[in-house]
Order: sequence, then C-alpha cells, then structure tokens
Amino acid sequence: MTASGTRIRQAGTVAGTLLLALLALRVSAKAPGELSVMDRAILAIVSPAQGALSSLARGIGGVVGRYVDLVRVRGENETLRGENARLRGELTEAKRAAAESSRYQRLLALRDTTPAETLAARVISIDASPYFRVARVEIDRGEGVVKRGMPVMAPEGLVGRINRVAGAASDILLAVDPRSAIDVIIPRTGGRGILRGKAGENGYRCSIEYLTRGESAREGDPVVTSGLGGAFPRDLAVGKVSRVADKAIGLYQEVEVTPDVNFARLSEVLVIVAPPPAPDPDAGSRRVQAPTRGLMVYR
Amino acid sequence: MRSAITLAVAYLLLLLQSTVLELAPVRMAAPGLGLLVVLHVGLSSKWTVSAAAVVGLCTGYLLDLVSGAPPGLHGFVFILMAMFARALATRVAVRGIVLSAATAFVASLLAAVLVVVVRAQVSPDGGYGGLRQAPLEALLTAFCGPLVLGLLRRIDGRLDPARARVGLARGPRTLGEGIGLR
Repeated sequence: MTASGTRIRQAGTVAGTLLLALLALRVSAKAPGELSVMDRAILAIVSPAQGALSSLARGIGGVVGRYVDLVRVRGENETLRGENARLRGELTEAKRAAAESSRYQRLLALRDTTPAETLAARVISIDASPYFRVARVEIDRGEGVVKRGMPVMAPEGLVGRINRVAGAASDILLAVDPRSAIDVIIPRTGGRGILRGKAGENGYRCSIEYLTRGESAREGDPVVTSGLGGAFPRDLAVGKVSRVADKAIGLYQEVEVTPDVNFARLSEVLVIVAPPPAPDPDAGSRRVQAPTRGLMVYR
Repeated sequence: MRSAITLAVAYLLLLLQSTVLELAPVRMAAPGLGLLVVLHVGLSSKWTVSAAAVVGLCTGYLLDLVSGAPPGLHGFVFILMAMFARALATRVAVRGIVLSAATAFVASLLAAVLVVVVRAQVSPDGGYGGLRQAPLEALLTAFCGPLVLGLLRRIDGRLDPARARVGLARGPRTLGEGIGLR
C-alpha cells in the first residue's frame, strides 16, 4: 500500500471514530437515561472496580484526615499550653496583687485606728547583714519629716525604731536587734522590763531583761510596750512569752519573747512621726483613756 | 498488544480520576488523567493517527460511562484532542517536565471548552456552565502531566525498547514501518 493510501486509510479511521462518537452522542441525546447493551456490559466491569477503589480512597482519605486532625490537635495543644502558662502567670500576679492589697488594707486600718500621726513606708531591704537586725525602708514625702528614734510599727505590732535617715530612705533598728532596748510590760502580771534582741540567734527572738519577780510570767503571755521613756506609745503589741527560765534565785526573771511581727515577711510599715494629740479636757467624749501604768508621754 | 495495555492503563487512570476526589483536600476538581493518556498517544511518534483516534474514542467513551456523561461526548472530544496532540507534536518536541506540564495545562483547558461546547449542542439545558472549574482542573492535570506522561513513555519503552522516543513525530523510517497500526 502506498503512503497516500495509508493516509487515506488513517483519515478514514479517524473520521469513522468521530462518526461513531457523534452517533453515540446522538443516541444518548435522544434517550438520555437509556444505556445500550455494550454500555451495560462495560459498566458491569467498571462499576465494581470503581466502588472498590472509591472505598479504598475513602479509607486512605479517612486516615489522612485523622492525621491532619491529629496535627491540628497538636497545634491546638501547643497553643493551649501557652495560654495556660500565661494564665498561670496572670493568676500568680493577681494573687500577689491581692496579698499586697490585703496588706495595704491592714496597714490602712492600723493607720486609721492609730491616734498618732503616721507615715507609711515600704521595706526595701531587711537584714542585709546577719549581724545587725536592720531593715531599710523608703518613705515617699518623708524626707525631712522622719527623724531618728521615731517608732515603727506594723499591723501585727511593734517593729522597731528609726536608727538612721538618709533622704527618702531610713534604717529601722528592729526590736530583735541586740542594740535595741524597749520598755515593755506583761499586762497579766504587771511585770515590767527591757526588751532586747537576742544576739547570735538565727531566728527573730528577744528576751526581757530586768523583769521584776512578782507573779511569774507564763508561756503565751502577751507583751506590750509600756510607753515609758516616751520613745514608744504604750500598749503596742510586741510579742508573746515563748520561754520562761526556771531560775530559783535572783531578782529578775529570765523570759524569752517571740515577736508578733514576722520580720522575714515585713513589707510595709507605719512610722509614727508625731505622738497623738493631747485630749481636750473640755470635750464631752473622752476617747483616750488615762494611763493605767507608766508615764503618759505621748499625750 | 500495546493498544490493549494502554487502554488498561487508561481504565485504571480513569478509575483513579473518578475516585481521586475522595483524597483531594479541596473537593472541587480532579486531574484529567484520561486526557493525559490521549495526549501521550497523540504526541508519541510510535502511534499512528488512526490508532491515537481509536484510543481517544475508547478512553473518552469509558470516561463517559464512568463519569455519567452522555456516551460519546468525551469520546468525540478526546479524538479531537488526539489530533491536536499529533498536530502539536509535528511542530514542538514535547519533552521535559515544564513543557509536558504546559501541554497538559493547555490541552485540559481546550478539552474543557470543547466538552462544554459539545454538551451545549447535545443538551441545551446544560448551557455553558462549568467552565469556572476548568482552570483548577487544568492546573491539577498539568501537575500530574509529567508524571503520567513519563509513566506511559516507560510502558511504551518496555513494549518497544528500540523506539522509546516520544515527541516530535519522525514519520516511518521505511515504507513497511509506515503501514497500518503498529
């Protein structure tokens, strides 16, 4: 067969296939829902394989989908972890703020109930040296007002006295320092003595020196300031008797006192800058009671 | 033999095409894998025009049955696409990934237009809608093109190792080679 003959034959084949396709199209256009016997036979072969492959594809798609979900869950987990850490931080900060607020409220309450003029101070350091029980405080607007010797108290009780002033910062000689000497009494017995810090102690403890022997002090007895000497207002809580030495002879009792103030957690204090005003003798109401013991130096 | 194997591959690819939507993350379009078979036989110099037309008709008809299209629609279009591929092969050597992908992309767009036009002639109810998916389908076909065309070339090479070249139609070397279906 020549080349032109081949071309004619091929063109004929192409035209024939096109005609076949058009014929099939025409038939399907006339009866869209009907299939020929050949179509049914082909579909009978094709459909099961199509169904099986579709199920396989759906299975693979399910596995892939679950993997994608897992990856997404992992991402969400990371996000939630981060959020959890942030919220924990916020909670800690909120708790700290709440505790600070509570401390301020107690300090404010103390200030309101104290008849003397006071200034609030923030503790910026405490016990910088283990040999000196000294706290450093910072007082806003306290420059020139705060003087050496002024008493310092906290909501729990006596803290100490101002020892050194340098601008807005002042050092408090704590009541537990061996250099500190505060006149105190035990209200239950009426015994009076000098409260001194105990040297060489790891904790914050004091002892009462020169406590007169009369009725014996007992463990748990409260100790308050006497007001004698004018340095401290009277009846300011100091601590509780924690140990009484069993001493048969001698003029004085040996008593150990645990302060009410937790010096390790001291954060805000009040400095008494002026004693309470003297009571008006003409006033009908007598808010301030007469002293029961000691000298009334703050009146 | 080669025609039968190619049609079997086309059948498998059509099954895959009809089920590939299940795997696709975006269920909008599937690559025209059957069209790639037709492109291969049209582009390959190992296939005569008449053989390419017959493969086009069979593949298209099978696609009609698998996809639920009016029988003959894709058959008709695929014959035309086989002719288009053959005409292209006489001018351009379709080799390499980029050119294969580009050819698949253009052919897919052309086939989509032809299908819509012929459908509109056969059943006017269908109108000219559906062309919006054509670019995405063409992109997917272009993505699969180099892979499927390479696979079909390999199969052809295995069946006829001496003449595994695909691309520019070279024509028969001898008079005997140019006769009829090989």
